[in-house]
Amino acid sequence: MKLKKYSQKLKSILGLSLQLAKANFKLKNEGSFLGIFWYLLEPFFLFIIILGIQKALGGNIVNNYPLYLLLGLIMFNFFSATTSISTKIIENSSNFIKSIKINNESIILSRIIENTFAHFFEIILFIGFMIFFKIPLIQLLIYPIIFIFYILFTTGSSFLLATIGVYVSDLDNAWRVVTRLLFFATPLFYVAEKGSLIYKINLFNPLFYFITISRDLIVYKKLSELWMIEITMALSIIIFITSILVFNKYKNKFAEHI
Amino acid sequence: MDEKIIRIKLENVSKKFDKNNKDKGALARLLDIISGNKNPKEIIVLKNISLKIKAGENLGIIGKNGSGKSTLLRIIARIYQANEGTIQTNGQLVYLTGFGHGLSPKLTMKENIFLSGSIMGLSQKDIKEKFNEIVEFSGLKDYINTKFFKFSSGMQTRLASSIGLHCVAHKNPDILLVDEVIGGGADKEYQEKSLKKMEDLLKSGSTVILVSHNLEAIKEYCDKVIWIDNGYIIAEGNAKEVIERYLEEK
Repeated sequence: MKLKKYSQKLKSILGLSLQLAKANFKLKNEGSFLGIFWYLLEPFFLFIIILGIQKALGGNIVNNYPLYLLLGLIMFNFFSATTSISTKIIENSSNFIKSIKINNESIILSRIIENTFAHFFEIILFIGFMIFFKIPLIQLLIYPIIFIFYILFTTGSSFLLATIGVYVSDLDNAWRVVTRLLFFATPLFYVAEKGSLIYKINLFNPLFYFITISRDLIVYKKLSELWMIEITMALSIIIFITSILVFNKYKNKFAEHI
Repeated sequence: MDEKIIRIKLENVSKKFDKNNKDKGALARLLDIISGNKNPKEIIVLKNISLKIKAGENLGIIGKNGSGKSTLLRIIARIYQANEGTIQTNGQLVYLTGFGHGLSPKLTMKENIFLSGSIMGLSQKDIKEKFNEIVEFSGLKDYINTKFFKFSSGMQTRLASSIGLHCVAHKNPDILLVDEVIGGGADKEYQEKSLKKMEDLLKSGSTVILVSHNLEAIKEYCDKVIWIDNGYIIAEGNAKEVIERYLEEK
């Protein structure tokens, strides 16, 4: 009986999330001349700029550098776009939350679904480059497994940020600084040699694990070290469960603070 | 048998709001500390409210703006949490405060029906079933694929209320909390139609709590009325008597 109630609630949360995501997706591209192509163009231009700078500074620093770079950028982009929007998402939805009994989870999940759509388009761009660089596409089949854990981690982070954002006005500004810091701290456009200081620092950076495992598997056709995979999986699950518990504890108080 | 079910029971419910919320930035708070500015930290919005409403009963809540009427409904709807006291509700509850939740100017009428319907808690299947009825009732059949921002304000009201009324009717709630939604905005013919639909909802057998400044509507649809002032229940009882007393002292 309880299980049926939970599954019905989950179904209703996912149903609303999907509808909100569809609407957001449509609104984002509404009236835009290039529409969904922006999902490809934005990371593409950033990729071209960094690639150009890197070439000017001395050429490829690692095998298949363009793929190394692009995969890092699009994975970072997913995390950054999703979490940044979460910091103010509850406050920006105050008209719903205060005037209708709505599952607050759906508001956050809809943005995650929307950014997953966008990530899908970016992956298409990445596939184009894989074909160009004659990298077998077969490894990509395992990427959804990594991405599921990445979604768990990003969802967890988004739920935590959304909760904190209700109580801390400055969170969006602070998080912007943190994501900028992460952009430079994570080896997206450079390589962190094992044993180097930047490598040691990145051992405390969750994004480093997800990006390294994906690059190893897709670009370099190898499996990362087992401890890395274990940490990535454990981290995703711990962050996800913790965030759900924290969010559930505070969600009924949101309406009074926004 | 059903008449004896208690749908809503509140015992000594109190609610206060924290004034020192996050609206003040870090700098403003620092200046407050330096200047010794001590604002009262809390405002009491509701104090010791007790209520018992049986199945099928309609209760009206009256009082001036800021008296705590809407807060009380939000507490019953579990949108706000009470600081003290207990709240029990028995059955499916719908809280209705205005129409048009989620309507987006850049989406078409059809897209908006699906979006707003989802926000109001209907599944896609339910919305598909209700779609034609919503469109028919709004009288905007020729504008299904027209973007919402191209609608006149009257047309927007028609669509918003048609979606709201049909979604609530479809949910057929045991408890219906209505906060200031009786009113117009559209042309007279549509107003009458939507008022009739609203009446059907209010008389559908659900337990209704109606908050409104429209005292005639309260008198017509409610068996009992409570008058709230500054968070306290000033009077409760027969609708006509409480309203008369309210008007005398107003």
